[in-house]
Amino acid sequence: MASISVPAGETSAPQQPRLRVSDYLRWSVDHKIIGVQYMVTSLFFFLVGGVLALTIRTELLTPQLDVLQTGQQYNTVLSMHGLIMIFLWIIPMMAGFGNYLVPLMLGAKDMAFPWLNAFAFWLIPPAGLLMLLSWFIGPPEAGWTMYPPLSTIFSGDGQVLAALGAHLLGISSILGAINFLVTIRNMRPKGMGYFQMPLFVWAMTATSILVVMATPFLAGALTLLILDKVAGTAFFDPANGGDVLLWQNIFWFYSHPAVYIMVLPGMGILSEVLSIHSRKPIFGYKMIALSSMAIGGIGFTVWAHHMFTSLQPEYRLPFMITSMIIAVPTGIKIFSWLGTIWMGKIRFTSAMLFSLGFLSMFVIGGITGVMLAVIPFNLHVHDTYFVVAHFHFVLFGGSVFAIYSGLYHWYPKITGRMMDERIGRWQFWLTYIGFLLTFFPMHFAGILGMPRRVAVYAPEFQTLNSLSSAGSAVLGFAALLLIWNMYKSLYVGSIAGANPWRALTLEWATTSPPPAHNFVGDPVPFHDPYGYGSEEATAYLDEIDQRYGKGSPAQPGSAAAPQPAGD
Amino acid sequence: MQQDLSQHLSRKELQDLKNKRTGLAIFQFSWIMAFVALIAVNWQLRYQSASWPPPGVDKLGVVIPSLMTLALIISSLLVRRATRAVKTGEQSVFINRWGLALLLGVAFVVVMAWEWITIPVSGQYSTLFRLMVGFHGVHALVIGAFMAVVYRNGRAGAYDPYHFWPVEGAAGLWHFVTVAWMLFYVVLYWL
Repeated sequence: MASISVPAGETSAPQQPRLRVSDYLRWSVDHKIIGVQYMVTSLFFFLVGGVLALTIRTELLTPQLDVLQTGQQYNTVLSMHGLIMIFLWIIPMMAGFGNYLVPLMLGAKDMAFPWLNAFAFWLIPPAGLLMLLSWFIGPPEAGWTMYPPLSTIFSGDGQVLAALGAHLLGISSILGAINFLVTIRNMRPKGMGYFQMPLFVWAMTATSILVVMATPFLAGALTLLILDKVAGTAFFDPANGGDVLLWQNIFWFYSHPAVYIMVLPGMGILSEVLSIHSRKPIFGYKMIALSSMAIGGIGFTVWAHHMFTSLQPEYRLPFMITSMIIAVPTGIKIFSWLGTIWMGKIRFTSAMLFSLGFLSMFVIGGITGVMLAVIPFNLHVHDTYFVVAHFHFVLFGGSVFAIYSGLYHWYPKITGRMMDERIGRWQFWLTYIGFLLTFFPMHFAGILGMPRRVAVYAPEFQTLNSLSSAGSAVLGFAALLLIWNMYKSLYVGSIAGANPWRALTLEWATTSPPPAHNFVGDPVPFHDPYGYGSEEATAYLDEIDQRYGKGSPAQPGSAAAPQPAGD
Repeated sequence: MQQDLSQHLSRKELQDLKNKRTGLAIFQFSWIMAFVALIAVNWQLRYQSASWPPPGVDKLGVVIPSLMTLALIISSLLVRRATRAVKTGEQSVFINRWGLALLLGVAFVVVMAWEWITIPVSGQYSTLFRLMVGFHGVHALVIGAFMAVVYRNGRAGAYDPYHFWPVEGAAGLWHFVTVAWMLFYVVLYWL
């Protein structure tokens, strides 16, 4: 027993390395630097996409055009908002968490292919630039889904640049995913089988399998689109033997799995945060791990539920059934998480609050998802604000809440300092209320028949839209609080110590931030990553504190890091 | 006899080799989906047109492409033998087989490029042919160039039973080219 309670080999504690901004501005093959590069880049694009979102909401305050001059401008703002938030915010942000955490959680020194890892990251800034530049040369107006003929006939040349940008991001995703899969398969430490891995690593496994299998379809679809735009082919032109539904099939065969690519890592974050902050072993470890794989597998069989209004009726039924089945593994996760926090010693840290926020919002988004899978209901609300409400509940209420939660949870590890919990709680409640106010009324607008993607709408919807717009202002302000909190805490946050949350996974069994090669000697994982509440676990955690140091206030007299509620 | 690598390579080198092998396998599995995507494109456009090929257009001849497919398969087998040879230290077998495989690969690319150029224009039928053969051809060209580099380095004696990854990697990619072509071959000429 004594041998497994020692978190690392017999060496003295290393000095805590200092973070230098210049390290993050150049090529580096250190997965921790690359992880932060991903995160900061995507936070930048989050702000850009957020400004666009607020522009949309301001425009929709009144039923007429007022902020923007033409409907085309509105189309462009909407398209850029979607493209940026999906391809340049959520997907790379999750890749950032994966890059930073997967090697640490596995006790590895780096990813399997460090150079490839850096290369995958450095595809993102030029891709982002292409997307932004597309605005200036005949902007895309076809939404993030880029349906022909909107994209082929009605959008300008910028559509080609946006498609090229998405192409680069797809390649970046594939290279990153190959790296994750190889790292996870080959670089686990002695004594960590697949079923001793932290659940975040399981989530990244499922995500990466989805990425490597689905993203080549995006590459195919985008290639055809670009050829139609620049090379005179007619793949999507029915007048010349093409087919517009071809795009929808190929695109959604990637993009529906992409929905799970965006949310599965968030579910992984949740599994860590909920267990650690309620000091209880995770409930149903294997079920959570395998349900990620099930979601991934079934996720490949549901794509045509995006096309219920255009599909031949006889094809609809199987897709309705598979779409509803997705709710089963998702439900397994939700109930396992509830089982995890049930009777736990819950500490309402900001990270925990956001994870609980995810739980409530994602349940709503999931239920509207099942509603949308029902063909008659879908036909009624197709392309209405009900759909907008649904996917913002899963993408913002799901993925973004998980990202916020993960940032509060791992910021101490990344920077060595705690974030301000008071601002964190403010941010949580403002986000929670602002989010509900923004997106809940959209359900009603949708059921009453307000179409999506319009700048001008019937006056009867104005009340609901004003509510949404007011909520979005709160939501935007709350996002700024997060940025401010992250910036401020870099300088004045209290010292985190190695393991401020007293967590058992390996990323905490080293200094914060970790040294260049993560660990001194080979770390020894605790036999159960969620074995909280045992004397053995307490001994292991005390050992980490002793070896790598505990947290302390930034200045004498200021508030100390929040103390965990015992093991 | 293949050598026992664990006697001669460091722990890190062994780990790197294992990682590269896994990475290559995942890449093959992943990128074949791009070819599957194009097959899906072919399939959807084909089944919504009244006749395939369109009326008045001749179906593509199968004789030359079949010979080329055979050449590609043989070259893949040669590459396989060459990879085994480099691991057992049979330098001359490696060079001969690899060179022959490269030659067959060049023949394949040249003939298929000729087919690509000379196919009569007939709407989606020829466009799809050009899309698929072109997409495959780009892969054959790039990976073939890689094989040529390996050939040159191999003649200079760069590989031995402990340092063979570029050979094994190029071989794996060439097998990928062959498998991808066999999928396309069936779809383009026989269905």
